[in-house]
Amino acid sequence: MSAETGKIEPAAVVKPSGFVILQIVLIPVIAALNYVTGVIINILKLPLFMDTWATMFGTVVAGLWVGAAGGFLYNIVMAFTVWGLPAWVWGFINIYIAIITWVFWRIGWVTVKKPVKLLVAGILVGVTNVAPVTAISWLVFGLLPTYAGTAPIYAAILATTNSMLWASVGSSIIAEIPDKLISLILAAVVASRMPARFTLGGRPS
Amino acid sequence: MKILFFLWISVFNYIFYDLYLSIVSFLLVLTLATLARIHRFVLTILGVIVLPIIALGVLVIGGPFGFPHNETPLLAFDLFGFKVGLFLEGTVYVSTWTARLAVTITSALIAYLTTHPSDLAAIMLKSRIPYKFAYAFLATIQLIPILTNEISTIYQAQVSRGLNVKAKLIQRFKSIIVLIIPLTLGAINQTQIRAIALESRGFSAPVKKVMLRDPRLKTIDYLSLLLMAAGTIFFIYLIMTRGLVPFIQGVRYIQPGG
Repeated sequence: MSAETGKIEPAAVVKPSGFVILQIVLIPVIAALNYVTGVIINILKLPLFMDTWATMFGTVVAGLWVGAAGGFLYNIVMAFTVWGLPAWVWGFINIYIAIITWVFWRIGWVTVKKPVKLLVAGILVGVTNVAPVTAISWLVFGLLPTYAGTAPIYAAILATTNSMLWASVGSSIIAEIPDKLISLILAAVVASRMPARFTLGGRPS
Repeated sequence: MKILFFLWISVFNYIFYDLYLSIVSFLLVLTLATLARIHRFVLTILGVIVLPIIALGVLVIGGPFGFPHNETPLLAFDLFGFKVGLFLEGTVYVSTWTARLAVTITSALIAYLTTHPSDLAAIMLKSRIPYKFAYAFLATIQLIPILTNEISTIYQAQVSRGLNVKAKLIQRFKSIIVLIIPLTLGAINQTQIRAIALESRGFSAPVKKVMLRDPRLKTIDYLSLLLMAAGTIFFIYLIMTRGLVPFIQGVRYIQPGG
């Protein structure tokens, strides 16, 4: 409330004293949202992971390091609870996702106002994500198929090429592009519905 | 100590490429889970995560075209001149990876489910982990069940308003929006309240943080430490004398990435 005019001021948080605290509190929320999305996907029986959308969303509304930390923390928590220790390395994928989302957001592509650019950004996130996913799959999981949805594709490519590497790359492409595209669209849609007071990351130039 | 055990057994399981060693480790952690009376939960989690991986992996990698090193028939037979069935190399490869996964998941669950969250926070602070990270980690663990309950309520509310979860694929994709937006807005709304609560308790005050609980090592912890030290010496001896595949012999699968 403004003392001079008596009007209600807009509640936009630009740099309040508790700015850092808000960012820190947002990190577990992002991690938990990534997890709960898995529950939603299970309810709706959708053939995707969607466990990086909150990382993208966090990057858009609160900045790069909040999105990256939230995404990485999600993988740490999952590795220490249900996925098993080696799964913590997937956290690097979340960091990569946060960085690339931040880049696209800074150039103004992650917005529902520019659907074509949003679409292209989503596809590029998915395509470029194949390289780190394959690297981790090779180094930590022995290139095994870990996702039932793409196992038939993995098996088909393996039968054709006799190479687990190509099978892993091929099945990653099939899984990653639609997953990251829909995740980015979802992040942009939800971010567009956010009240300005919670948008801590500022607006793209 | 339980966290240390989890790290210790996980690291050694990933150093060795031996199915027998992984199976023995798995039986050990499963026994500990049974003693801690969390075996039902552990087995449920393993059923959800590990079982599909081993089933898929054996079918795909253990098959005739699945693995470049497949040569020894396990359950294979000839069909019109082609060998069909499972092969030893691929099956052992998949079994080793999934056994490792099962060991780490079980030991992590033992550490997580049998440790009080306050003890976990105190241990993290004692380990010189920044308290902001400790807070974020513990808050995530606490938030997950809260948000899961919330999404259940939102889901029921949306179903009562006509949300159809058995609709066509495109329609189901659209349904994500009506579930996620209220969930996210609710969660984000609470962050401000949580931030105020934290600040009022001196979260960012420039003073040394103290904990109400102060977990200390007991006799059983020292005994466990001794056993882990002995195990480490034994494992180092195994590596030096028999390599990274000390027990299982004659199977060509010992290459990361195939």
